[in-house]
Amino acid sequence: MKNFKANASLMLFVTPALIVYFIFKLMPAVSGLYYAMTDWNGINKTFVFVGLSNFIEVLKDSYFWDSVLFTFKYVIVMVFVTNVIALLLAVVIENLHRAKGLFRTLFYMPNMISMIIGGYMWMFIFTKVMYYLADNWGWTFLDKSWIGDPKYAFIAIIVVATWGAVGYLMIIYMAALQGVPAALKEAALLDGANPWQQFWHVIFPMIRHAVTICVFWTLNSGFQVFDVIYSLTGGGPGRATQSTAMNIFEEAFRGNVRYGYATAKSTVLFAIVLVITIIQIRAMQKKEQEA
Amino acid sequence: MKKFLVLSLIVCLVLSLVACSNDAVSDPTETTEVGSTESPRVAELNIMMSIPQYMDQWDTYVKQFEAKMLAEENIKVKVNLEMPSSDQYESVLQARLTGGDAPDLYTLHSNNIATYDKAGNLTDLSAEPLADKIYDNVRETVSIEGRLLGVPLESQAWGVLYNKEIFAAAGVEIPKTLDDLKNITEVLKEKGYTPFMLAYQEQWVPQLMTALTLGGKVSGEIPDWVDRMYADNGSYEEVIDIFGPIDLIMANGTDRAMEMGSESGAAEFAMGKAAMFVQGTWASGTIMTTNPDMKLGVFALPVNNNEACTLVNLSTSTTLAVHPDAKEMDLALKFANYVLDDQDSAGLFQACSFNPLATVHNYEPASWVADASAFVAEGKAYKDLVLPSAVTDEQGKLLQEYYVKTITKEDFVKRMDEVFKSSNK
Repeated sequence: MKNFKANASLMLFVTPALIVYFIFKLMPAVSGLYYAMTDWNGINKTFVFVGLSNFIEVLKDSYFWDSVLFTFKYVIVMVFVTNVIALLLAVVIENLHRAKGLFRTLFYMPNMISMIIGGYMWMFIFTKVMYYLADNWGWTFLDKSWIGDPKYAFIAIIVVATWGAVGYLMIIYMAALQGVPAALKEAALLDGANPWQQFWHVIFPMIRHAVTICVFWTLNSGFQVFDVIYSLTGGGPGRATQSTAMNIFEEAFRGNVRYGYATAKSTVLFAIVLVITIIQIRAMQKKEQEA
Repeated sequence: MKKFLVLSLIVCLVLSLVACSNDAVSDPTETTEVGSTESPRVAELNIMMSIPQYMDQWDTYVKQFEAKMLAEENIKVKVNLEMPSSDQYESVLQARLTGGDAPDLYTLHSNNIATYDKAGNLTDLSAEPLADKIYDNVRETVSIEGRLLGVPLESQAWGVLYNKEIFAAAGVEIPKTLDDLKNITEVLKEKGYTPFMLAYQEQWVPQLMTALTLGGKVSGEIPDWVDRMYADNGSYEEVIDIFGPIDLIMANGTDRAMEMGSESGAAEFAMGKAAMFVQGTWASGTIMTTNPDMKLGVFALPVNNNEACTLVNLSTSTTLAVHPDAKEMDLALKFANYVLDDQDSAGLFQACSFNPLATVHNYEPASWVADASAFVAEGKAYKDLVLPSAVTDEQGKLLQEYYVKTITKEDFVKRMDEVFKSSNK
């Protein structure tokens, strides 16, 4: 009885948040599953239940799978690039004796503006500044088709996305680094470990939990990537840099405005992301416990 | 009788002068005493328009109409002119139409004419005097099966923009056929000019090339193509000609096209970086602010060597319609006719900087508008093709890919046919 009372008061406290979550997150997600089985166009009052035909169409939609492939490529590159850079920055800045706060703020700043704006800013850099440098300063290696060539457009997207994400990850890594007991570091130093050994064998195992969080975050946000690509290349040339989220967006709001079909696509995306993050969390948690 | 006529004309003139000078119009009751002995009929007319940016101009025009009615017909009209903000306009209009509170006259986009006609919200104006004043090809954009269903207000004609100074310096004339265009390109290159401005970063800009070439080709040679495409009984193979100009433009344009947005493209074009730019006259704002001395012209993009296919695009947006349930139908029709009035219409259209679209519009428009209108007046214009928006979007995407050479012409045809088919489902 006592237990129940304690639980009840706890429940009471979370109820408002739960209601909001239920109405604005869970309900749309579940009803989305239903709309994925209709031919609703988002405007009409009437629509027809079409069963699984949308999902069958998704399987045959080559544009969709191209975009999934592109997203995978993006996620893999992003997970490595952003985490390595963020960790590197965190370690370097942590070891600074002065101006720690300044650098922390500087690298965190891109995180404070919307990536849509960041994307447009970088668009200016890639389409105007780069060519100015190439034409006037003779830096010909910058004279590439940064938006038009799928290969370089991918690099451009990675650069901008990394610029936007490292600051956030860096803060997480810095917090973790500060949590590593100084005694351990000193002990390693006394045992004659060089800086690399210190980092790899002492510090890194101690910040594994931060790595889990950061990899999880990059995976998750990577699969949903939209704003950077939308503002930088618009998915172009053609569909060469179209992410899955963009493909879904275009299906729902452009062209034939097929809401139901787009919902089916996002359900498929959800399933893919779910499986991958479960695997990732399982694997990383095992590692954490071992350490 | 003659005396009365002269008198009322004088009143009308004085009134319109007063109205033009933007002063408050003198109380109409005073003028009735001068104009006629019998008391005027009192009537009300409700007009709703979606162009609040031209409120002042239309207010003036409505006052002129009220004065004219009082003087000529001895009707004291009170016109209620409403202009809801344009983002709410359609929902307000829809609500009033379905709620049985329809305005006597209202504006709509010409794309919606078919829908509104089906719902019985449009009056056939074919028999009105105004019908004969509108240019034939503009009339087509607001007609269904020969029935004129609205008075066009905002109409736009566009093709390829060109720099008249560069053309004069190189000694070339605007092209009539694809061979002409090829010659011009060669001459311009010899004289050291870049022929075309390419700005393909935004997909709608390369799409303009398919809009113009398809429009010209289809209207000039295979008018049933669009209908057959909708019936799954046609192919882009039939319009492969469109790649004639497209290839020429892409091969002779500025560098870094994929890195060039539409606005910066217009600005660079204004600075004389290239002689021609496939872009609508709506870019004239950016161009003229960048370079106010620009001599801007418009010509129709040739598709092949058949001159019948060399056409400018003509489309109408804002259109004024008369509702069939109007209480004062004769007055509503009089107002519709007054919009294209022999004396006053030109002033109104010029004040709103609308493009001339009827014989009564004899004012001097901007050079690019005049060029495009000349094509329209000669009948060298096509009505915007109605394609599914998925098809238009895809054309833009594929042209980007075609430009960066990730697809071929054959791929373009194949994929466009597929997209059109799936849009028909």
